Amino acid sequence: MEHKFTHPKKGLNIVIVGCGKVGLSLVDKLSKENHDITIIDRDAGKVQDITNLFDVNGIVGNGANFSTLQEAGIYDTDILIAVTNSDELNLLCCIVAKRVTDCAVIARVRTPEYSQDAAYLKSKLGLAMIINPDLESALEISRILCLPSAVGVTPFARGLAEMIRFRIPEGNRLDDRRLRELGQELAGAVLICAVERGGEVYIPDGSFRLQAGDVVSFIAPTRGSKQFLRRIGLETHQVRDALIIGGSKTGYYLAKQLLRVGVNVELIESDRQHCEELSTQLPKAVILNGDGTDADLLREAGIEHVGAVVPLTGIDEENIMLTLHTQAVSRAKVVTKINRIMFPEAIDRLNLGSVVYPKALVTDAIVAYVRSRTASKGSSNIETLLHLFDNRVEAIEFIASEGSPVVGRPLRELPTRDHLLVACISHKGSILIPGGDDAIQPGDSVIIVTTHTGLSDLSDILA
Amino acid sequence: MNTSIIRRVLGWLLALEGAFMLLPFVVGLLYREDTAWYFLGVGAFSIVLGLALAYKKAASSVFYMREGCIATALGWIELSFFGCLPFYLSGEIPRFTDAMFETVSGFTTTGASILSDVESLSRCMLFWRSFTHWLGGMGVLVFLLAVIQLPGGSHMNLMKAESPGPSVGKLRPKVRQTARILYIIYFVMTVIEVVLLLGGGMELFDALTTSFGTAGTGGFGIKNDSMAGYSPYLQWVVTIFMALFGVNFSFYYLLLLRRVRDAFSMEEVLTYFIIILAAIGILMWDLRGDGLALADTLRNAAFQVSSIITTTGFATTDFNSWPQTSRTVLVILMFIGACAGSTGGGIKVSRIIVMFRTMIKELGSYIHPKSIRKIEMDGKVIEHEVLRGINVFFVTYMLIFSLSVLAVSIDGLDMVTNFTAVAATFNNIGPGLELVGPSGNFSVFSPVSKWVLMFDMLAGRLEVFPMLLLFYPPCWKNLLRHRAAVARGVH
Repeated sequence: MEHKFTHPKKGLNIVIVGCGKVGLSLVDKLSKENHDITIIDRDAGKVQDITNLFDVNGIVGNGANFSTLQEAGIYDTDILIAVTNSDELNLLCCIVAKRVTDCAVIARVRTPEYSQDAAYLKSKLGLAMIINPDLESALEISRILCLPSAVGVTPFARGLAEMIRFRIPEGNRLDDRRLRELGQELAGAVLICAVERGGEVYIPDGSFRLQAGDVVSFIAPTRGSKQFLRRIGLETHQVRDALIIGGSKTGYYLAKQLLRVGVNVELIESDRQHCEELSTQLPKAVILNGDGTDADLLREAGIEHVGAVVPLTGIDEENIMLTLHTQAVSRAKVVTKINRIMFPEAIDRLNLGSVVYPKALVTDAIVAYVRSRTASKGSSNIETLLHLFDNRVEAIEFIASEGSPVVGRPLRELPTRDHLLVACISHKGSILIPGGDDAIQPGDSVIIVTTHTGLSDLSDILA
Repeated sequence: MNTSIIRRVLGWLLALEGAFMLLPFVVGLLYREDTAWYFLGVGAFSIVLGLALAYKKAASSVFYMREGCIATALGWIELSFFGCLPFYLSGEIPRFTDAMFETVSGFTTTGASILSDVESLSRCMLFWRSFTHWLGGMGVLVFLLAVIQLPGGSHMNLMKAESPGPSVGKLRPKVRQTARILYIIYFVMTVIEVVLLLGGGMELFDALTTSFGTAGTGGFGIKNDSMAGYSPYLQWVVTIFMALFGVNFSFYYLLLLRRVRDAFSMEEVLTYFIIILAAIGILMWDLRGDGLALADTLRNAAFQVSSIITTTGFATTDFNSWPQTSRTVLVILMFIGACAGSTGGGIKVSRIIVMFRTMIKELGSYIHPKSIRKIEMDGKVIEHEVLRGINVFFVTYMLIFSLSVLAVSIDGLDMVTNFTAVAATFNNIGPGLELVGPSGNFSVFSPVSKWVLMFDMLAGRLEVFPMLLLFYPPCWKNLLRHRAAVARGVH
């Protein structure tokens, strides 16, 4: 067995243009994975702050400027990520970089006008990835609203399987049951892969005893998950109507997505002219002009009876207050989007329910891409990466390739590492929760759940 | 304040110094000197103590500016203390203050000595004395960063506190790679100098110690007459290498990357060479009547200029007896110093350039009061913060300088001696004028003055602020409060 666990410790050369929220969180994640990172920003103060805190090189300048890119060592760059707050600048950075060298380029593009053409831009400009945090968070929120008893929903294997997080309510059938007692009648084709209790995260085995209040993550085929939730007595119908507070880009994308799946949408926006634009873009939605933080207006909009409330003002504090207000006056499902503030301990205490962090979504997507570039060529590929429970658990979806040492052998014969679960295998479109006799075939997508962070290749699961 | 990470860094530093002491031990064994065993003893002790200090993991590995500065300042004091033990214990430098002075002078690459008869020291002691220059020149913490993977995020704050210059840039994205590249350039240049010196017929021991002194821009000679006894060829080699080690190391990195044009358009390096040539020109003119052949005058002038501006402090002639203009030029060069990012000391050419431009800008604002202009260097705007840093540095520098001269003056020596003694130690040069000139030494001062000068050497090497921080009460209050909090179990 010469293919032992070898961490690909040769880091990539990565240039990150723009040190905003996403830029910073990328620097944080990627610098821990041993890449050589150079950041570019116009603001000398920001560059200074980041270079003091992280082991990265900082350059003050415009990332679309060729000589600045040259200073950042563009000729040796493997990946350039443009995440300034201007879409045009991001695209220009990518074009300039792409003309000089054959690096992979990733751009953040948020404006709906450009975002509609994402596929076209990607192919014509040779972008490896276009990321849109507003769209990603809108999709995430709409997935949660389609399954309101969940805290979070993440699709895997091109939507065939999904990972669902939910909190076990008081008096639920799962309370005080060992996992192996769940058996076929309750669990069916469902794998509980991580449990958070009192700030600790467990990757449970059969003897693990569940309790009310635990946040449980499970993986199941997309249809199976609803059945499972129904069997344990949780609501599985998607919400009928939703109240969106704030007509931001995310609000627009969310309204559009919800209308598509048949949810009635009410949207409150304070700017009259913007309301008019929205009303033409979203003819089926009810657009209300007014201050979304006005309790009377909210009552008038029906906050007490509506199925879901999503506060999407541009200010995190307002969103949190609106969530708390909604919880006080209504039984509606609330999803809170938090852009900027990072006080995870305080936010945990507030018990906000479902929280969506746009920057975490896009960071995960980019880190997944970077990791699959890091892995030795041709052995396997990362499709999806998800950080759970404050980054302590990772769920990663790999595509198994021909010749990988894990392929074609029953799982019980594979010497996998501790605290690691082969949670799900998607074989030619059918989803399998694997047992010891199942084997991974080339071309399968394999979902791994683990507390080891930094896996970049499917063979990394071996001890 | 994160005291545990400081403790760890101090531990690693000590262990590293202990390991380096094995070099003079080997040298001593080769020359069959009994004093070599002191190096083994102190070295082994340092390694054990250092590893014990570094053993326990730090609770948090975050390194802020204050931790970086404190660790650096304490680290250098620690290095000097343990580094002086072999001199003191072996009795070759019988008084502790003197042994400490000699070691501080070594690590800070000053080269000021209290010894009147250098040649009486044993070989291993001489080797260690010169080797401290080599270590101190590029920085011990930088070495640590190059070899040891310290846990945690960025250690830029450590490197910043130790590296000379108003703003420290990285050559590569990671501190560790940058530190390695610096040391590789440093090492290779030292080896080249050793080879050239050997080629000129110098003994290996002399070639090594001379190269250590040159590379670190230190200036400890192993002969009583410094470099005067060596052949003209050897003196020229040393002259050129002194000047080269005073160049910003980014210059060499750019050359390695084959960005020759960028390298030669570095304003600081160009200005540095212009100053050197101008100073040599003035000296040649001033020394025209010294009765020597033109080639000898040129060699003497070039050697002394190169030695003083790079803050090395070797001498081939007693420049104390030179005419007043020449002496004055040398004193001015002491203050200018070498380039930022080199191994030399002083105010640094880049700071001088920026201060000069600030002055020009100020003049311009008298003509056009509302005009807005940014100060640039190498085609880049100098940020306000950097400018402010340079101005504050200069003010603090002058303040410490004046107070030191005042403190030293209590000994009752003449003004020129006091002034140049402080200038020579604060700028890490070595010899000054009059009593502390190339033929004199620092033993004329009282123990109290020696400690003042030691502080000056450390402050000068670490660019003033890390050392001053040790004397800033809030810094310690912060530390004590942290201690108390830990004791109560609160974090």
